[in-house]
Amino acid sequence: MNKFLALIVPALFLISFGYALLKKVRLYDSFTSGVKEAIPLVTSIFPYIASVAMLTKLLEVSGLELKITEWISPVFSFFGVPTEIAPLLFVKPLSGSGAISVLSEILTRFGVDSYAGRCACVAYGSSETIFYIGAVYFAGLKRKKLTLALAISLLSYLASAVLCCFLCRFM
Amino acid sequence: MNALFSIVFLLAAIILLISSPETFLPTLIDGASKSAALCFSLIATYAVWLGLMNVWKDSGVTRAVSRIFRPLARKLFKTDDPETLDSVCMNASVNLLGISGAATAYGIKAANLLDQSENAEYSSSMLFVLNATSLQLLPTSIIGVRTALGSASPTDIILPTLIATLFSTLLGVALVRLLIPQGRKKTLSVHWETKKRKGQVFDE
Repeated sequence: MNKFLALIVPALFLISFGYALLKKVRLYDSFTSGVKEAIPLVTSIFPYIASVAMLTKLLEVSGLELKITEWISPVFSFFGVPTEIAPLLFVKPLSGSGAISVLSEILTRFGVDSYAGRCACVAYGSSETIFYIGAVYFAGLKRKKLTLALAISLLSYLASAVLCCFLCRFM
Repeated sequence: MNALFSIVFLLAAIILLISSPETFLPTLIDGASKSAALCFSLIATYAVWLGLMNVWKDSGVTRAVSRIFRPLARKLFKTDDPETLDSVCMNASVNLLGISGAATAYGIKAANLLDQSENAEYSSSMLFVLNATSLQLLPTSIIGVRTALGSASPTDIILPTLIATLFSTLLGVALVRLLIPQGRKKTLSVHWETKKRKGQVFDE
């Protein structure tokens, strides 16, 4: 399975470049002019990534994150979400690197193939870092009325987390 | 985002002020330096994918792929602009493949184009929700983590993950359609009103 997964990207490049050559595209010129856009793109999103990162770091260091997780875990367990994965559910929308470290902590403590472990994997794999995406995608836009969209994304995320804990019971 | 940022920032700052004020500045700098490091690695990631993406564009792959998804994208985003539809479709298709670097690059482009469209609030929200609820056929990174930690069957989470992600995307799309006003009706009625007004002028 993993060998197969590792093949996807090289195959994608090989097929794409081969096809481009067939179409008589000047491969080097085309590729480099694409690469040229990388730095402006990253500079444009840096302020937003940096601010969100500072905020999540503050949340973590001040202990507010732990407090909020404690408050919301009864709500999670009411919906059938094991309390072990509540920290993951809270961190995942905020920070990708934070979520990875919480995930590996859960997996090593409870076991990869335990119920909590599988729930954590499914919850991690089926969601995105919502706030990071918001910061990156809508960096520097004029119309920023995305509060409702943010709320919708978070709601869908929580609903699917509940669903995945339910699915993990028998799948 | 402004309200959220202000509330969380102030609350955390007050807590730190009481408990350990000396950690405040190092915390901020740590966060910023993490994001600087992230940006550095993003430049590398985007360099690879933006290069490939431009080759796709020049060889006509972008057009061909987006032709498949275009009818659906046109309905979802309520826009007819071909360039916007191209980026939206490519964003969705590389997302499905799990290439998040390329997906983000297309996504930012699409977001900028949608921002200029008439019903920007609706279509931008749709783009955001589609990306934030994660569309992915194979959860490759999590399979990697499970394999690394010695799982007996690293792939048995594929099906529940697929169901959960599909569910969250469908729910998100449905909520956007229900809750966020779609511009087209409004522009139509404005159009109709101006026609009516012109008619009235004509009558006089």
